[in-house]
Amino acid sequence: MRVVIAEDTVLLREGLAGLLQDAGHEVVGRAGDADSLLALVGEHSPDLAVVDVRMPPDYDDEGTRAAAEIRRLHPETAVLVLSQHIETRHIVELVSAGGGFGYLLKDRVLDVDDFLDAARRVADGGSALDPQVVATLIGAPRPVAALDELSPREREVLSLMAEGRTNAGIARRLWLTERTVETHVRTILMKLGLSATGDDHRRVLAVLTYLRAIKG
Amino acid sequence: MSRTLRWTASAMAAATLAAAVAGIVVSVVAASQGADRSVPPAGLAGLLVAVLVPSSVGLFVALRRPGNRIAWILLAGPLSVAVVMTGDAVAGLALHGHPDSTLGAWATLVAFEWPVLFLWPLALAFVFPDGRLPSPRWRPAAAVACVASVGIVTLLFLAPKLDGPYGKVPNPLPFDIPESVLLPLFWTCWAGLLASLFLGAAAMRARYRAGDAQQRRQVLWLAYGALLVPLWLGGGSLWSLLIGSTDPIDGIGLTVFQVWPGVAVAVAVTRHGLYAIDRLLNRTLVYAALTALLAGTYAVVALLVGLVVGGSAWSASLATLVAALAFRPLRDRVQNLVDRRFARARFEAVRLLRDFLDEVREGRAEPEDVGAAVALALGDPGAEVVFRLPETAGYADRNGRVLEGLPDDGRARSVIGRELGVLLHSPSLPPDLLRGVLDAAAVPVELARLRVELRLQLAEVESSRARIAQAGYAERRRIERDLHDGAQQRLVTLGIVLRRLQRSLPREAQLLNPALDAAVDEVAGAIADLRTIAAGVRPPRLDEGLAAALADLARGCAVPVDVVATADRAPPEVEAAAYFVACEALTNAIKHASPTRVVMHTARVDGVLRLLVSDDGVGGAQAASGTGLPGMVDRVAAQGGTLAIDSPQGAGTRVAVELPCAS
Repeated sequence: MRVVIAEDTVLLREGLAGLLQDAGHEVVGRAGDADSLLALVGEHSPDLAVVDVRMPPDYDDEGTRAAAEIRRLHPETAVLVLSQHIETRHIVELVSAGGGFGYLLKDRVLDVDDFLDAARRVADGGSALDPQVVATLIGAPRPVAALDELSPREREVLSLMAEGRTNAGIARRLWLTERTVETHVRTILMKLGLSATGDDHRRVLAVLTYLRAIKG
Repeated sequence: MSRTLRWTASAMAAATLAAAVAGIVVSVVAASQGADRSVPPAGLAGLLVAVLVPSSVGLFVALRRPGNRIAWILLAGPLSVAVVMTGDAVAGLALHGHPDSTLGAWATLVAFEWPVLFLWPLALAFVFPDGRLPSPRWRPAAAVACVASVGIVTLLFLAPKLDGPYGKVPNPLPFDIPESVLLPLFWTCWAGLLASLFLGAAAMRARYRAGDAQQRRQVLWLAYGALLVPLWLGGGSLWSLLIGSTDPIDGIGLTVFQVWPGVAVAVAVTRHGLYAIDRLLNRTLVYAALTALLAGTYAVVALLVGLVVGGSAWSASLATLVAALAFRPLRDRVQNLVDRRFARARFEAVRLLRDFLDEVREGRAEPEDVGAAVALALGDPGAEVVFRLPETAGYADRNGRVLEGLPDDGRARSVIGRELGVLLHSPSLPPDLLRGVLDAAAVPVELARLRVELRLQLAEVESSRARIAQAGYAERRRIERDLHDGAQQRLVTLGIVLRRLQRSLPREAQLLNPALDAAVDEVAGAIADLRTIAAGVRPPRLDEGLAAALADLARGCAVPVDVVATADRAPPEVEAAAYFVACEALTNAIKHASPTRVVMHTARVDGVLRLLVSDDGVGGAQAASGTGLPGMVDRVAAQGGTLAIDSPQGAGTRVAVELPCAS
């Protein structure tokens, strides 16, 4: 797939580009700030834009805002946002707004296979949400009776669902068979009162919507 | 120098008194011997008063202000008048039955200098009250007056025949100048002197018109007297034309002419604050009355005890004791009486300010309200007190507002105490009243200005503490950014380099894989550590709001923490302060109180961010113990907030914080 990378630290940008190229992807553009990112995306219509959150000039949330802009102007380009730390500003909205969006902490890149997997998933119109963001949502400040009814294993599965993983991905991660995972998913959706669906992204959406609702 | 001057002044006043008394005694003796007197003893008694009034005023002024020229005019004038009058009386006695008496001739010569009666009031008219001419334009007029005065006095000494009480007497001085030479000169000088009297009256009038309200009141009485001069001279001339003898007019006129300036000066001094010696007069009056009262008390007690007991030692001791005991109450009583009698307005004003000070002492009035009390005491609604700030030497009003400068709006300015403050007031206040009020206001003004200064400095300290706290939060933010965007980025880059190296290893080098995995794990661990450190410096989630940051805080805590946080945002430094206070409260609770549950609650009400951290632990926390609590208090105070800790033994701890959101 064709990728544009926006990252102001040159060494890190080249490292990311190297990883993607090693995996056989084509890096068609490299940007150091949000404006040139938007220009490159407009020019190349890549499959995926990998975007750092903090970029010049203010090092605040330029990346996130550029991501929203890309999703609005170029729906065909998926966005994977990379951050140095957890924040939920805009993120949940962006994930909920539709497929083709991911948000990961930068050090997830070091799990190269997971990272490439997430990048591929997002580019294909799926979602990728960092486990810590999910933990933030699930470990909501208010006690949630419905979540208390879930077994520890079911909570794990719920978290991985919220991250945007497929049943196969969850099974691989938890060393379970896919059938077992399917059982867990059915139970979880039933306990939370959500309807089952085959679409991975719609499933993420349902789970996130539910989590946000109970979070208040 | 001034000591010598004071002695001289006292000697002159004493000489005046002696001469006047001697004159009266001699007159009485002469009258008893049947001598024909031109001035009756009653007239002499009038003149005694006439010389003593200005002389004593002059003495008082000279004692207080030895350099004052008016004082010396007031001392020298009556002295010369007394001498002339005494000379007249002595001549009357010595020449009675002895027309050739040498003493009589000399006394007649002295008495012949009667124009001195005009000279000192004339001098006063030109230079009262500041000892200088009204303006340099008056120099020619003053010169005419001086030449005429000196000329008259000199020419009278040179006259070959003197007018004695019983006819012509030969001049005892050995001069022999024909009258044909002297007379034209005399009439010229006499005309000059008469003109000078009118010029003096005009000078008085000029000074009155040029002066401010205060100076006008000081000059007014003397100016009235000056107006009498043409009246008297004109009236005298008319009388002599119609009736003949001018003696009764002259007698009355002369007495008035002598008494009036003394009274006028005395009024200016006592009622209009001239030379600022009214206090001295007041004191003199008080102590004279006090001395008399104490002496009377002593005498009465000594007499009564002597009659009853008989022993003189006993009566003296008892009388001394009674007099000593009576001193203080008598002094206050007499002072009040004198003030009430002679300085009513001042007495009332000072009493009002004393009452005000009592109220301040009892906490029923603020010392800053001294301005209102002073305005009331002065009866001047426009009066205002501004306080001088000890540190900056600037001025502030009662609300602690620092003034750019004293307002220049036509109000007069009087310094209170030693630069404690300034009273702005109407320029036409009686100086005696003003001075009494200024003295009485000094203590409350001192209190008020210290309080104002303290408030200003406290405000400055508070704002500087807030600035320091804000700078601290900004610095934390910068460090957090540096950690995330600097060190952490490089570690991620290093990890990626290792991963790419690992993935590019040829098959035969795959045994390096575990080592590289371990290295990457190490890097990931370092990144996680760095993230924890950065979050401790300043949680990046604070950017998303206090609620998000507190939720993270609660999640990372070993004890269950419930967070009920408002989604309303507050200014960043307020949210930061609330976050760190919550952190410290939580840490304290876990460390010292062993709670099973902690609740953190935030709300924004009426521009105030409220934070409540409560636990169900052992309680008994005190603000002084442990390092966390004072830290919290300081943090909250820096934002101008309040912190209350309720921690009964065994019943949990509640930390309640209120932070104003100034935005």
